[in-house]
Amino acid sequence: MEELIPIVVLLAKLIVVIVVLLILPIPLTWLERKIAGHIQQRLGPMRVGWHGLLQPLADGIKLLTKEDHIPAEADRFLFKIAPIVALVATFALFVVLPFGESFSVFDQEITLYLADMNVALLYVLAVSGLHVFAVILGGWASNSKYAILGSLRTCAQMISYEIPMGFAVVGVVMLAQSMSLVSIVEAQSEVWNIVYQPLGFTVFFIAGLAEAQRIPFDLAEAEGDLGAGYHTEYSGMRFSLFMISEYMVVVFMASLTVILFFGGWNDFLVPLPSFVWFALKVGFFIWVFMWLRFTFPRYRYDQLMSIGWKVLLPLSIANILVSGFIMS
Amino acid sequence: MLPLTQTLKNKPTQILSQWIGWAFFRDLASGLSLTLSYMFSKTVTEQYPDKEKWVPFPRYRGHHFLNTNEEGDTNCVACELCAKICPCDCIDVVPFEDLKGNRRPKVFDIDLGRCLYCGLCEDACPANAIKLGQHYEYSCENSEELTVGRDVLMGMPRKSELGGAVFDASLSTIDGVHVKEVENGQGRDWWQDIRRN
Repeated sequence: MEELIPIVVLLAKLIVVIVVLLILPIPLTWLERKIAGHIQQRLGPMRVGWHGLLQPLADGIKLLTKEDHIPAEADRFLFKIAPIVALVATFALFVVLPFGESFSVFDQEITLYLADMNVALLYVLAVSGLHVFAVILGGWASNSKYAILGSLRTCAQMISYEIPMGFAVVGVVMLAQSMSLVSIVEAQSEVWNIVYQPLGFTVFFIAGLAEAQRIPFDLAEAEGDLGAGYHTEYSGMRFSLFMISEYMVVVFMASLTVILFFGGWNDFLVPLPSFVWFALKVGFFIWVFMWLRFTFPRYRYDQLMSIGWKVLLPLSIANILVSGFIMS
Repeated sequence: MLPLTQTLKNKPTQILSQWIGWAFFRDLASGLSLTLSYMFSKTVTEQYPDKEKWVPFPRYRGHHFLNTNEEGDTNCVACELCAKICPCDCIDVVPFEDLKGNRRPKVFDIDLGRCLYCGLCEDACPANAIKLGQHYEYSCENSEELTVGRDVLMGMPRKSELGGAVFDASLSTIDGVHVKEVENGQGRDWWQDIRRN
């Protein structure tokens, strides 16, 4: 019996994480539409439920009951598997994220993460790259020019922004002397990394926006000129799987920003339970992502590439050099 | 970024401050602060038809009505001047003599789908009978319903002096879809709420 307890705890945590992640896109779509509305001095959804709170449920029912259409000339197998790849790749990211400080119940230590890898940061960067496969499979299998153009743009963008992102977090790794996200947060218990790594944070945040396909880097979805990007041909449930994975990437980028630069679950001024602080900080960054989305226009494709390769990459390398000189 | 020639005309200190501004995202920050202030400003959405409704000014030319006298009978003397002056030929009047010996309309049909709401019938009327009111909601499911008769026109709401404001209202779907203003509501000027800067 004694040996079974950790497995039961792990399973319970797994179920909680999956359920929370699957439910999160519901309030987030509502929040996004509300923020969009209020920035434009509108009210946003108001008719379904109190202040439109049940609107995402209505949308969900609509998506579930829609016809599941596969284009005639599409590669049916790849077309079906692409949204699943997108979802799996994003779910896998959350395995290593620590959500709060460990506590003990009945002499049993409960850790608020699924796994504490010693190479968690490397794992995160590698697995977030898997999302490219979903994008390129979806675009290729649709057999549509809009989808393939969108997926090519997305792939180029994700690949080129992963490099500055990877370099930007090196400074954090140098400060914490570890690639485990738990030790990175513990290393920030005194001073948050944003104080030592403002440049690293800036580069990471911009690259994160590009990774999450948010405005001003949402070229792949550029509604005006591409239809909808790589998921142009998707409808119904498969489309909503792509949308869920996109919202989860936003949540993930916000969580990673908090963990790497804003002290993770470490409290600030007010002592609250660690996971509450973590959730508050993540919520703030999700709000910032949405605020940015409805403020800025979209970059042109060549500007996107030159920002990535000519600005962010040199800056992130310079950040590593300067941090190294100061630390030595 | 400014063109190079224009940049060179500026003083070095100006150029330096410009570059410092760019390095710290000054332009992006000013955009963000603007949208932030909008995010917490009052919205201008008029929640029609759920909660609010715009009642037009009395001069508005909407759904016609026929004025009635003290006996509850219509003022109309069925002279057919309105039908004659109507530019789109949408009024149809058939006169008859009622029990008191007055000339009255037996049929007074207006095809609201053809009417252009010019108000010439109002001007032509010698008996102060036909008027254009402030009512503007008459959606229906087929175009025949848009031809309204004498009794409907007599029952339409008269001109209201309250117009020119947004009133609290509620939507009812019993007996067709109607938006009714709440009686005691004080109207608010929608234009005042628009942020001007």
